[in-house]
Amino acid sequence: MSFLGNEEQVRELQERFRLLYFVLFIGLGLLSSRMIYLQILRGDLMRRYSEDNRIKRVKIPAPRGMFFDRNRVLLMDNRPAFDLEIIPQYLKESGQRKEVLDMLSRLVNMKVEEIEEKLEKLKAQPSFMPVKIKTDLNRDEVARIESWRIAMPGVSVEMEIERTNVFGDVASHFLGYIGAVTTSELPVLNKKEKRYEMGDNIGKIGIEKQLEDELRGIDGQDVVEVDALGRRIRNSDAGRVLDEETPKRPVTPGKNMVLTIDQDVQLAAVKAFGEKVGALVAINPKNGEIIAMISRPSFDPTEFSRGISPTRWKQLIDDENHPLRDKTIQDHYPPGSTFKAITAIAGLEEGVIDEKTTFGCSGSLKVGNRVIHCHKKGGHGNVDVVKALEQSCDVFFYKLTQKLKSIDDVSKWAFALGLGQKTGIDLPRETSGLVPTEEWKMRRFGEPWNQGESMYVAIGQGFLLTTVVQLANAYAGIANGGPIYKPHYIKSVESYEGDIIQDIKPEIIHQAKISEKTIALVKQGLSNVINGAHGTATFLNLPGMEFGGKTGTAQLFKISSDKIYNKCENMKYNQRHHGVFVGMAPMSDPKIVVAVLGEHVCHGNTGAGPIARDVIKTYLEKTFPEEYAPKVIAEKIKANKIAVPVRASKRTADESEDVFISQPGVIPPADLPKSEDE
Amino acid sequence: MTYTSMETPVDYNEGGIRSTAFDEDLKKFNWTPIIMEITLFLIGIFNLLSATAVEDKSLGLYKTQLMWFGIGAVLTIIIFLFHYSFLSRIAYFVYFANLFLLVLVLIVGRSSLGAKRWLGFGGMTMQPSEFMKISMIICLAKFFETDNVIGGYRLRDMVLPGLLVAIPAALIMLQPDLGTAMICMLVFGSIMLFMKVNTKTLLILALVALIAIPLAYKYALKPYQKQRIVSFIDPMSDPKGSGYNSIQSMIAVGSGKLVGKGWKKGTQSHYNFLPEHHTDFIFSVFSEEWGFIGCTLLLALYMIFLLMSLSIAYQSNDKFAMVLTFGITSLFFWHIFVNMGMVMGILPIVGVPLPFMSYGGSSLLTSMIGVALLLNVANKKFMF
Repeated sequence: MSFLGNEEQVRELQERFRLLYFVLFIGLGLLSSRMIYLQILRGDLMRRYSEDNRIKRVKIPAPRGMFFDRNRVLLMDNRPAFDLEIIPQYLKESGQRKEVLDMLSRLVNMKVEEIEEKLEKLKAQPSFMPVKIKTDLNRDEVARIESWRIAMPGVSVEMEIERTNVFGDVASHFLGYIGAVTTSELPVLNKKEKRYEMGDNIGKIGIEKQLEDELRGIDGQDVVEVDALGRRIRNSDAGRVLDEETPKRPVTPGKNMVLTIDQDVQLAAVKAFGEKVGALVAINPKNGEIIAMISRPSFDPTEFSRGISPTRWKQLIDDENHPLRDKTIQDHYPPGSTFKAITAIAGLEEGVIDEKTTFGCSGSLKVGNRVIHCHKKGGHGNVDVVKALEQSCDVFFYKLTQKLKSIDDVSKWAFALGLGQKTGIDLPRETSGLVPTEEWKMRRFGEPWNQGESMYVAIGQGFLLTTVVQLANAYAGIANGGPIYKPHYIKSVESYEGDIIQDIKPEIIHQAKISEKTIALVKQGLSNVINGAHGTATFLNLPGMEFGGKTGTAQLFKISSDKIYNKCENMKYNQRHHGVFVGMAPMSDPKIVVAVLGEHVCHGNTGAGPIARDVIKTYLEKTFPEEYAPKVIAEKIKANKIAVPVRASKRTADESEDVFISQPGVIPPADLPKSEDE
Repeated sequence: MTYTSMETPVDYNEGGIRSTAFDEDLKKFNWTPIIMEITLFLIGIFNLLSATAVEDKSLGLYKTQLMWFGIGAVLTIIIFLFHYSFLSRIAYFVYFANLFLLVLVLIVGRSSLGAKRWLGFGGMTMQPSEFMKISMIICLAKFFETDNVIGGYRLRDMVLPGLLVAIPAALIMLQPDLGTAMICMLVFGSIMLFMKVNTKTLLILALVALIAIPLAYKYALKPYQKQRIVSFIDPMSDPKGSGYNSIQSMIAVGSGKLVGKGWKKGTQSHYNFLPEHHTDFIFSVFSEEWGFIGCTLLLALYMIFLLMSLSIAYQSNDKFAMVLTFGITSLFFWHIFVNMGMVMGILPIVGVPLPFMSYGGSSLLTSMIGVALLLNVANKKFMF
């Protein structure tokens, strides 16, 4: 180890440096070429990847069109609701799962186990999809979560629009509800163009469904910057211009609907219904505008707009009063004696009776080998058509029908007044009801019509089925003296900002050719029901409003002859008769027609009549105050301008009842095909 | 025998003050290592300012880094005051002292991210494994100073220097810190090759390595280390998991394109798509924000630095200094190569910091000590 030896070795080592420089160049050259590859050759691609990382497209949901009543009372609104969501992936990546959940449980007053349970439930879905932890946060909760958001990766508050029926359960069937689009609906909806995604809402029933395309609008799209934990970057400076290719799309809101409904009338109807089960349709006969339309019991569509719990759903489905069924258009019932007005028209127009024709009523009639009864045990004596309507004499209509060539002579007029077919009201799931004909019987049962069956149809029973809206519309035809408008509920379509886009014009769908004389006779009969001396519903009288109408009771089960005069109220609830009432006012120039069906209310006059009366009163007082305001009417009575009806006797509802009394052997209406079930 | 390397015996006076000739000779003083060091450090701190400016990260990290630089500067001056031959005398002491610290780390070290790498004293922490790299190089220089083998090193000649490296490397592996251990092995290999290895031995070693690598993969590596290798070979096999860092890092580098996104405007780092972006992945922050032009500039600076370092090694005219400076050069080279290679996805992910750029006190101090030693050797004629 000499000094010189060291120097020699150093020189020897120095000779190796050329190789070292070479290695150095190779090494850094390798790095440099990788830079060229990544930054120059693949630069655009890598830039796009990095943009994809931070730029997320967000959907801005288009506000759905709102509903207003004819006086611009807001009926269906969009209200913001706040939900707490967790994206499990970020929770995992942050490595602070426990801390975050602990903090969250304190902030929203939920047990950690509860949160865990919700996360567990949706474990199967991809972990980047948010899991709803709590819905409808209150303001305090939202504020608390927002202020601690930074400390809780993966936690966010999402605003959702809650579709709200401002009046709770009023007219829910008619207004409808929205719900998440289902997997099976998607391919059908997106057939032409992609319009719906999973999680989007769609109208499920009622107007919401029918006018989906106009109500929905077009969702907008925005782009936002997010960090690796999916948190939105706030105050991202304008200089950081987002990719120009990233589509931004403004929101196109849905269209507002101004309905023909008068909410005050609607509320009066709901109030009059109380706990009763049934349906009501009020129509302006002069143009077919629906003034009120309700089905009871109902439900609150708000429950549906954000997903209903299975328990609540089951409860609604299992309810024996079928709150989900729209009893105005979806269910049909025997119209009972309210049909007698149509039978009367048939008789008069076919020429088998005239205003002078009278038939004797002894309380029953032998048809073939059967005896059929009038609802009045002792009979009505000799009655003409007006009296027959006033007192709802069954025997008169039996005898009238016996004079007709066939049942088709009645059916003809039922069809002319829009029965037995859809009214064309612009709502989903309307059923057509049933007006039997000889041909129909043959087709349906393979048997010829027998005359006994005609008797039942004459008084609105047997095979005959009508919906409440049909009944209202048929009477609107009578009120009008022939022309029947298409029932409609839209007054105008407006932009979301409130500019009128389209006014809806009335449309005549039937032009029943009924002579003025016939109309006058029938109207007289209808007027007498309430205002006559022996009317079946005189207690409904509305002084000064010329309220007229027809009561009816629909028997659901055949009753053996020993029980036919038993009190309805003593029967089991679900065997009791339905009460029907169709009214109009003022009789001289009807401005409103109301059809009411009360399920199992036993009597048309007491069960359904008062509801119609309240609705008519409310409507006339509100819409034509100069004529019908209580003060105006009181003054008219004082001045003796209004005739107060003279009553033959004080009648109780029970006595004046016009229940159809059937005999064993009659095909009960229950045997007939019901409207399609949902 | 420690004095045999005393090649510059000119008034060597331990702890003495410079002569008046200093002023005249100032022009001849080799400032390059200092200039390079400061340049790279400034770029590093500027980059760190951006990298740590994220809302939920401490904004003060660059201050800590500046503080470490201050300590490093003091250390540089102290090192400069001694002739490197003094280092030769205390080489084994330094080595064993550092080895002791490595053992200590395993017993009382502080854990972070599943590894015990830090020793705490006062309010500060240090990473003995970082310093071990320098200690090891000093020790190897010391060893090879007096060791001379004709016709290249054979296996048996390599046992002793091999042990000098294997023992600390094993201790570092236990922490576990695969990156640093690997750097130690790479530096040792470089020095060994520089010292010349017998051709036959080299072939045998290559063969053994070929057999040993799969075995080591199977038995020696921890699952997470294996995972890293798998994801290096195919990062897309688990893009959200083990391949995530590699993919995001490559995206960061590539998305810088030619001119970069601009200072503090790197989205990959600022929105945390890149984990650990202020330490091991600092280069991805830089390349995202400065693009190919910036990267080329940085790489050129490192190139100049390494060339300078190599030329200092070349010009050193004693064996201790040459092995020492070569060792330091190779240490820097491997750090740069492995770190950038990892960031750009041509090497598996191992925790190796980028000199002067990555945040970390021990790493910075180690680099500065390395530069101080280079400076010392380069300016030996100023020594007393």
